[in-house]
Amino acid sequence: MEFTLLGSAAIAVATLYAMLYWEARHGNADRCAGNLFDTALTAAAVGVFIGRLVAMAFDGVNPITHPADILLVRAGVSTIGATLGALAVFAWPARRELIPMADGVAAAALAGLAGWHAGCITRDACLGTASDLPWAVAQEGSQITRHPVALYAALLFAIAAVGLALWKAYGRPGLGVPASAALAAAGAIRLATEPMQPSISGGPVWFYGIGIVVGLAGMVWFTRARGIETRNE
Amino acid sequence: MRWTFLGFVLLVAACSPTVAVDVDPPPPTTADEVTRLLEESTLPVVLNVWASWCVPCRSEAPLLSKASLRYEGEVRMIGLNVRDTQGGAAAFISEFYLDAAIEHLADSDGFIPIGLGGSRGVPLTFFYRPGGELSFLHYGVIDERTLALQIDELANG
Repeated sequence: MEFTLLGSAAIAVATLYAMLYWEARHGNADRCAGNLFDTALTAAAVGVFIGRLVAMAFDGVNPITHPADILLVRAGVSTIGATLGALAVFAWPARRELIPMADGVAAAALAGLAGWHAGCITRDACLGTASDLPWAVAQEGSQITRHPVALYAALLFAIAAVGLALWKAYGRPGLGVPASAALAAAGAIRLATEPMQPSISGGPVWFYGIGIVVGLAGMVWFTRARGIETRNE
Repeated sequence: MRWTFLGFVLLVAACSPTVAVDVDPPPPTTADEVTRLLEESTLPVVLNVWASWCVPCRSEAPLLSKASLRYEGEVRMIGLNVRDTQGGAAAFISEFYLDAAIEHLADSDGFIPIGLGGSRGVPLTFFYRPGGELSFLHYGVIDERTLALQIDELANG
């Protein structure tokens, strides 16, 4: 059963790698593609691990006395724990050139998220809240048609990833701007799709809001910093 | 680094559940009783099959507990404890389901889920419409999205 989750993870890794491969020829420095892939993959894996530990802690399950539970990621991963954990793990090996590396992985991270959401097909988890829209679909044996919300998220992440990669390749945005834009886009996409997701307790909407604000603030700050640099030259 | 690690271990250790409270073990039931219960229910029923020795059951228990409180009055939640000891089942209920709105029953042989169309494996989660018609059967650990979606199907179907 957990193999369906692995299927989604494999699609996410493949889309992440494909974007880094393309960007190595069109935006990123050639030499950093492998390095970025390793760092991003490690950050994602450790992020999931930390997110699972946080979810277990909040559920009152002790990971030390029940270590096997950690592997059961389907039982819940804290989005906040996973995101902050992945960012912290990414920042450590990339600390010497954090902003260039964050820019380098920005579009690929969005592509990886697109792959992860598109992987809903492998684990039969694409459907969300009820809808009468023409493209809404019903699960087998049901009359209720629903938003294919995970596919919406996949499509939006894919558009954001391709847009950002093209901007990096041909628009030459300032240092730090692509990473900030990716953060804002990821927050906005999750914020837009979360209300359509089936949920017991509701997603961390405020956290996505913070992501948008921090991302937009970063875009403004890095753009202004570049303007000052250009004037000084 | 060493202190950070030690601090993390202590923090995680502090997340241990509180001291177990003594509760009664779930009462034994039969296949006929469960079938009658499903047929006579005016509410949709979520029937979760669990055992205290089952690691995945432990993983999904907090979610089921949360869901039982969220949908109390809209959906009837039943826990069917299978192939377990009375002490093990009572300790599990005390650890996870003390405040939950879930009725627990025991099937020491573990054949009832097979009669309902499931398997010997645990955990299993059956979703029934009012009157006892099976809407969906989930094998293994249930995640939040699937549980919420299937309950929504029951409530609006």
